[in-house]
Amino acid sequence: MCDACGCDLKPEHTHDSKVIEVHQSLLAANTAMAEKNRVHIEKMGAIAINMISSPGSGKTTLLEKTIEALGDTIRIGVIEGDIETDRDAMRIRAKGVPVIQLTTGGACHLDAAQIHKGLHLLEKEEGGAELDILFIENVGNLVCPATFDLGEHHRLVLVSVPEGPDKPAKYPKAFHSSQVFIISKTDLLPYFDFPVAEAKAEALQLNPDLLVMDLSATSGEGFDQWLDYLRDLHRNRQ
Amino acid sequence: MHEMSLVQGLLIQLNELAKEHDRSKVISVCMEIGPLSGVVIDSFQFGFDILAKEDVLTKDAKLIIESPPAIYRCFGCGKEVEAVKRPESCSECSETLFSPQGGDGLILRQVEME
Repeated sequence: MCDACGCDLKPEHTHDSKVIEVHQSLLAANTAMAEKNRVHIEKMGAIAINMISSPGSGKTTLLEKTIEALGDTIRIGVIEGDIETDRDAMRIRAKGVPVIQLTTGGACHLDAAQIHKGLHLLEKEEGGAELDILFIENVGNLVCPATFDLGEHHRLVLVSVPEGPDKPAKYPKAFHSSQVFIISKTDLLPYFDFPVAEAKAEALQLNPDLLVMDLSATSGEGFDQWLDYLRDLHRNRQ
Repeated sequence: MHEMSLVQGLLIQLNELAKEHDRSKVISVCMEIGPLSGVVIDSFQFGFDILAKEDVLTKDAKLIIESPPAIYRCFGCGKEVEAVKRPESCSECSETLFSPQGGDGLILRQVEME
């Protein structure tokens, strides 16, 4: 072991080499930008929710139904993240709230620098400068987005019934970095083997502080609990 | 595969450090990647092997990765155990809920340059 650095580097050491102590997170630049984003979002008056899930688990549909239910009383804005296309932003825009689309051009996650850009773009949209709740719909991916703080206040992870109940165990990072876990598409429970209680217990094992809800945005079952959570978030923010 | 973009960030940081310390070659890089960091060590190493070669500064650099365990605190009795993987149940009270502490580091510790 090398005396200078404690790392096991001996064979490569030379007389004119220098060991530089860094001890800095690789995510330091992202985290610093995320802190700025959080301040920016708070100046807009908003609380931000970062939505993480696999592709097709119902993030956009959940947002559409949420805007229909709360759009008159709570000012909602949305930043959409996708690899390509602005289809999700078009769906949200049709509901009459400010939205912008970030396309990552291949990257599997949003990062804080993209959100920084997104916030400035959103402010140029009509009604986009003053918000109560900002939803950030991350790229559909249960793995990579979990590593990147975007400046959100709450993180939400979604798993839909057709995906199966084993996602918390298989993708732990998304679950122990989130505050809320939603099991979506519960109207499909009769057709899939998805033991809800087991999935909840497994998620709580990873993160005992998780708030867990199961709902169907289509049938409306369990949706009130979600709306109450958002109303509480909004009320406590004021 | 966010490991690739993390490696790209690391290489940018190495270039900045080399400039700052007036060095032209990275000999070794020592990283801490915790078991709860959400980063796959093999993928990170793979990304480094590919991307480091493209830069004259890092083409011969050796990447050393250390992965210290996380601490799991039992929700029932508060007993703490160090482990790389989440324990099935508490050895004291059989509780199955644990809250993890640490183990999520993704840290550039040291760089050796000449």
